Amino acid sequence: MSYVEFQGISKQFGETLAVEDLDISIAQGEFFSLLGPSGCGKSTTLRMLAGFVTPTTGQIHVHGRDITRLPPEARDIGIVFQNYAIFPHMTVYDNIAFGLVERNMTKRDIRRKVEAALEQVGMSGYERRFERELSGGQKQRVALARVLVIEPEILLLDEPLSALDKKMREEMKFWIKEIQRSVGITTIYVTHDQSEALTMSDRIAVMEGGRVLQVGTPVEIYEYPASRFVAEFIGESNLLSGRVQEVTDGRCEIDLGPAAVPAQAPSGAPLSEGSEVALLIRPEMIRLHKVSEDEAPMLEGRIAEEVYQGSLRRYQVETAGQKLTVEVANRPDLPLRSAGEAVALYWNTESGVVVR
Amino acid sequence: MERHIPLPMLILAVLGFAFMLMPILVVVMAGLTAGEFLTFPPQGLSLRWVAAFLQSDKYLSSFFFSFRLAVMTMIVATILGTAAALFLSRTGMIGRGAMRAFFLSPVVLPGVVIGFALFAFFIATDMGISRTIWGLWIGHILYSTPYVIGTVGAALASYDTSLEEAARSLGASPWRAFRKVTLPNISQGIQAGSIFAFIVSFGQFEVSLFLSSPNSEPLPIAMYNSLRYQFEPSAAAAGIFAITLVTASVLLTNRLVNIRRLLERQQAGG
Repeated sequence: MSYVEFQGISKQFGETLAVEDLDISIAQGEFFSLLGPSGCGKSTTLRMLAGFVTPTTGQIHVHGRDITRLPPEARDIGIVFQNYAIFPHMTVYDNIAFGLVERNMTKRDIRRKVEAALEQVGMSGYERRFERELSGGQKQRVALARVLVIEPEILLLDEPLSALDKKMREEMKFWIKEIQRSVGITTIYVTHDQSEALTMSDRIAVMEGGRVLQVGTPVEIYEYPASRFVAEFIGESNLLSGRVQEVTDGRCEIDLGPAAVPAQAPSGAPLSEGSEVALLIRPEMIRLHKVSEDEAPMLEGRIAEEVYQGSLRRYQVETAGQKLTVEVANRPDLPLRSAGEAVALYWNTESGVVVR
Repeated sequence: MERHIPLPMLILAVLGFAFMLMPILVVVMAGLTAGEFLTFPPQGLSLRWVAAFLQSDKYLSSFFFSFRLAVMTMIVATILGTAAALFLSRTGMIGRGAMRAFFLSPVVLPGVVIGFALFAFFIATDMGISRTIWGLWIGHILYSTPYVIGTVGAALASYDTSLEEAARSLGASPWRAFRKVTLPNISQGIQAGSIFAFIVSFGQFEVSLFLSSPNSEPLPIAMYNSLRYQFEPSAAAAGIFAITLVTASVLLTNRLVNIRRLLERQQAGG
């Protein structure tokens, strides 16, 4: 049973179509991410749900109620902005109390709730601070407390980590997820950062050019991307162009030019023999060995470049007329390769995914 | 760290200040003269012309007339200017730039043109407000509102609209969100604009020349009329009071704004 439902939503700004015919269903309690490059329509989608933008066509339902044309204050949806939007003329206490005051609660109830909210986000004792006296991470906590204290039906997060430095971002990623899980609130998270989306989400919608390209769990999105764009946008990817040679239940053979390799056939419509496809192999799925071992390799190639990256080594391997990126964990039991060395490339058949 | 200002720049700055302050100095000194006539340098110092100003019905009444007019103008110009600035910053309609230029045009147009145009309009339409305080009021509002639009527009340009959106999604109606969040955050611009409107109205000459009536003259017109017929230092003394009032109002606003900031900081520290 879907809780939030976008039905045929489009939004036109002048000549440009920011969002085009969007259909998304989100379940209650789900952590759902809208992921895509800037200008893909993810923020517009979020703003339509919040009530700041009215869709040109289509409807948005929450819990069976049509909210398409309701003003933001009638929606019971909380939003945390990219820049947090802490009211600079109010103390932390008054910021968090704002929504409760608007709900005409008594002073005593407000005090109790604000204190509980501050405690929840680990900011007790900061009641009298102003926005300019808070660090980025603290602003984030206050912004979240201000929203959670009104117990909205839905929580919207608009790129909440992009203003933080890398270390803080890693920390807040898990912290937000933890809070979300403990409150159990339906959450919609907008980001351009695929690693945030993969780490935090129950499901992800990948967007591009105002359209949803794929909706799925992080595993589905990463391991079975539905298109070249998704494959390239999510994580590192090697995409080898080839032609379908043979299809036999669930498996197929892809002709890459100098060699043909077995691969897993995509779900959905069956592949037709002879069609142009791409074979996706993630860099970490490839193993490098010396040539002339017993088992026949998928491909043979030559190391073009080696880059040291601390926890792993990254090789560029020339093979089948293309360059493949291979990541090898930096472990003493895995031999070092140097530029110019001839190598054999192996991967499990199911690690090669056909992308149309 | 000591900041070093190059000598030529320092000299230029000092000369610039002197050039701007000179007229004020001339007026103040001339108003404090002990002689019979408006001269500079003054012939001895005395407060006799200041006393004469304070005893003159004509000057005092025009001083308070100007003050009242400036306050009335300030109130309406602040409301209209703030509303116009808000509209200009939020509307997405085409022709917004042209509309802004139109709203700001009274600043660019010579005051004589506005004064004459309004005078001709009032007479032609037979509204019965030419040469009354109401007609004068309208002229002053027209002339001062652009200053409010300018300062409030600047405040809105740096105002983050997501603050208002945050207030809305926390349950505030458009009006409550404006009053509780937007207004406090652009209040500096509004205050600055209203002080501008007050000062501009208080010192306004050309528009007033066309629209004021002989029995209720704003101070600049009274000073001008008096100097036309008798070259008396009491006009300069009136000038001293005008300068004092304007300076005081600027300092006062400055003070109010700073005190508020100070309070916030203390609260936060405590």
